[in-house]
Amino acid sequence: MITAWINTHLLSFIVFAPLLWGLALLPLSERQAPLAKLLGLLGSFGILVVAAIRLLHLPADPLGRIFAERFPWFTAVGIPVDYHLAVDGLNLWLVLLTAFLVPLTLLGTWNSITKRAGTAVALYLMLETGMLGALVAQDLLVFYLFWEAMLLPMYFLIGVWGGDERRYAATKFILFTLSGSLLWLVALLFLAGKAGSFAPGIMAQAVSNLPFTTQSTLFLAFALAFAIKVPLFPLHTWLPDAHTQAPTGGSVILAGVLLKLGSYGFLRFALPMFPDAALHFAHLLAWLSVAAIVYGALVAMVQTDIKKLVAYSSVSHMGFIMLGIASMTVLGTQGAMLQMLNHGISTGALFLLVGMLYDRAHTRRITDFGGVALKMPVFTAFFLIVTLSSIGLPLTNGFAGEFLILNGTYISGFHWGRPLACMATLGVLLSAVYMLWMVKRVFWGPANAGEDSGTAHLQDDLNGREVAVMLPIVALIFWMGVHPQTFLWQSEGQVGQMLSQLGAPPPVQGRGLALAREVKP
Amino acid sequence: MTPTPAQLAALLPLLIPALGACLLPIACLDSDQATVKWIRASMFFIALLALTGSFFHLTRLWATGAQPSFGALHMDRLAQFGGIFVVVAAAMAVLQLWDHLHQEGWVKGETLALLLFSVVGMMLFAATGNLLLLFLGLELLSLPLYALTAIVRMRATAMEGGMKYFITGAVASACFLMGAVLLYGATGSLDIAVIGSRLAQPGGLDPIVLAGAAMLLFGFLFKMSVVPFHQWTPDVYEAAPHPIAGFMSVATKGVAVLALMRVMAVGLPAVGVQMRSALAVLAVFSLVLGNLAALAQTSLKRMLAYSSISHAGYLLLGFVAATPAAYAGMLFYLVAYLAMNLGAFGMLSAFGLVGDKAGFDQLKGLGWKRPGLGIAISLCMFSLAGLPPLAGFYGKYMIFKELILQGHVGLAVVGVLASLVSVYYYMAVPVALFMEKPSTLQAREAEDRPAVLAPFAGATVLICGFLVLVLGLMPGTVMAGFARRAVQDTLTGNVP
Repeated sequence: MITAWINTHLLSFIVFAPLLWGLALLPLSERQAPLAKLLGLLGSFGILVVAAIRLLHLPADPLGRIFAERFPWFTAVGIPVDYHLAVDGLNLWLVLLTAFLVPLTLLGTWNSITKRAGTAVALYLMLETGMLGALVAQDLLVFYLFWEAMLLPMYFLIGVWGGDERRYAATKFILFTLSGSLLWLVALLFLAGKAGSFAPGIMAQAVSNLPFTTQSTLFLAFALAFAIKVPLFPLHTWLPDAHTQAPTGGSVILAGVLLKLGSYGFLRFALPMFPDAALHFAHLLAWLSVAAIVYGALVAMVQTDIKKLVAYSSVSHMGFIMLGIASMTVLGTQGAMLQMLNHGISTGALFLLVGMLYDRAHTRRITDFGGVALKMPVFTAFFLIVTLSSIGLPLTNGFAGEFLILNGTYISGFHWGRPLACMATLGVLLSAVYMLWMVKRVFWGPANAGEDSGTAHLQDDLNGREVAVMLPIVALIFWMGVHPQTFLWQSEGQVGQMLSQLGAPPPVQGRGLALAREVKP
Repeated sequence: MTPTPAQLAALLPLLIPALGACLLPIACLDSDQATVKWIRASMFFIALLALTGSFFHLTRLWATGAQPSFGALHMDRLAQFGGIFVVVAAAMAVLQLWDHLHQEGWVKGETLALLLFSVVGMMLFAATGNLLLLFLGLELLSLPLYALTAIVRMRATAMEGGMKYFITGAVASACFLMGAVLLYGATGSLDIAVIGSRLAQPGGLDPIVLAGAAMLLFGFLFKMSVVPFHQWTPDVYEAAPHPIAGFMSVATKGVAVLALMRVMAVGLPAVGVQMRSALAVLAVFSLVLGNLAALAQTSLKRMLAYSSISHAGYLLLGFVAATPAAYAGMLFYLVAYLAMNLGAFGMLSAFGLVGDKAGFDQLKGLGWKRPGLGIAISLCMFSLAGLPPLAGFYGKYMIFKELILQGHVGLAVVGVLASLVSVYYYMAVPVALFMEKPSTLQAREAEDRPAVLAPFAGATVLICGFLVLVLGLMPGTVMAGFARRAVQDTLTGNVP
């Protein structure tokens, strides 16, 4: 009976099972923390298995909604709210990424959290519900509810298990995010009043009847909420604090999934609903993205804390994603889709690795290290692979994504396509500078000879558990670098359809490479 | 004259608590009431019994759909809603009082008697359209509250707060009475329905009506603690016993909103435009001042007092929209506010913070010691801040929705920005509960003291947390079954 229910309510099951599982773990006492960790890991792994098995059985038509659930939920103030969930090309891989990262995080930070570990595991699972729900929600109010539901678990993860400045970082995180989303709520309610519905399609029709200034204001309200989440320059200032103070697992999830929801929001809602305003503001988005790419990279270069460096590199990488979206070409948007996955995996892995280092050395300052390669060769190998993928070396995932984005921007029909693509390429160069310079100072060269230095505390190399966490990541890095088509073909049709409805200027012919149209059977 | 059964039915919800209030002083005549536990228990039992009786009578009226009236006392749906609202709030306050008064070491039966008299006044206030009866209700609800504020009389601040409340409240009542008199002079009637129809006639509007409406409004706004009639709020809440402060913030504000709703929709639609623009300005002031002042508080009760001022602002926004849907949204907001604010004030009793010691630093680390309470309190706080999917979010959602539909987008933006500010100070409570460690001195003191056991107050907090969650997950049910029907059956047709 349960399997039958899961078959018909697959998405509800995937979304809410983590929440229920997390709630069930809450009453476990402090002494039962290992049990809570184990159960949490098994539960989230089970969700991953169910999601992967069921969602990858795709129907032939890549345009069709793969799985959908829809029924009226409640009507408040005359406007019906539908409980409408669906998985399609745009969110399929992000759902799987989320389901993949949670068990990986739990396993990777098994020993990092010493106090109240059971509660932390429960919060991770509740967070998973918020993320998955936001990814699959098709009704804007449902999306909004899940969007806000992600805040509180993350707030507590940062605020309770974070570093010394955790309360400041947690409050900053929640206030930044809320300031965007509350104004967005006003825009949402305004639109719902005009359209009489929260369905994006009906809302888009209502938008087309509004004067352009109203459209732009509404678009900017949507864009503000999403841009804060991404975070787009100059709204990024909460991110370094949140990342530095968050526990390792919180950083992984934050970088891996939460940020993606901002760019996903642009793709799913902001662009299709406000085509005119989106075209009008595309140049603004693109300029801010390039600013984020270059600025993030430059600031990353001067960081003394490895984790903060990775956090700023996140700003830079998310800039690439936004540039791809702003280019409004199939190539660029597909690149952005791929780069979302890349960033989730590579940066998530970097945060995990930094966390492993921190657990051993209890410091993250670059100058405290040096010569780590001699003490921890396996760790060094993994770190190098992930670093190279983050830089975007060919044959790793980073290359495929950034190449598509830059190519798409270059050939885009907007007049700013070429110059901005060239400037963004600078970001690729700079990423090599800051990452490799950090690797040089941490891993090679003479060890910091001080008694309390980080290197002095390093005793053991990675253990089996940590290697088991890194292996699937490395496999994915190469898979996505060698054969990105696996992760792209589902979204291609949908992205193309969306862009043609948007009325974006067609790509300039003969200026770039065409995306290889190899579709798997 | 013997009242008919219908008249009796209209009167009973008020009679039962009144009877309880008269019995209670007899029960506590014994000078040993402070020492003999069963006398104390019977006092609280009588109070709860009276409230329960009234509650069941009201719910039965609601279920049968009867709307009896007795003279100018109309037990219609809106009044029944108000009655149930007040009785539930009072019952929770009584439960919290048991623990709080024991912690203070000042268990007196007259506290409960005064509380019940106040309940009667509130029900009357919400159930009539006659200006004189409204005034009677206003006085009957206010006078016991003045005394209740100062009930723990060995505390100097209690006397001061009670005095402040009494003097300012007397001025507000006088204004209300003056407004009623002016309206009577202009229209020749005290019944708001008649006043409404007289004013609707051409030439019915003259400056005296406007002055009368404005003075009437003073009385309501004072009870709702809207800026600039708010100055008493922080001092009085700080002086009053915690459960009484919670009861005042919820029930007084609630019935003032209900009565104002009735007066505005039935009696004064003719001056609706002027009233609404005035209320819009006051709402913005309340939101801005309430939230900004709350940011700077170190005392929990003062923070909650300023937060209650800001919530009055949100409720006023509903009056600005002034549609049936907005009124229904306000009723939903009130139900949500009942749960979350009584939970917030209940926290003080549940953790045994007595006297003037009610600062944020008293809460440090308590969340981990009492996780159930901690979670329930955090839920109440998030709901007060308006985070989805909790009850407070839907209250704001419904009001903002109507506001935007009526074209007041600017006011809605002010509203959401204000609630953004409020997140900061509401979050300070879960931060203290879960993210901060008690200082070594506090930890040592806590070890020396016996553990605080406040079973009843704790239970009310848990119930409040549960309610906040349920109302948030199923907003449609309460909305359709309760709030909307109260508005539909009473006010529709009179709404401009």
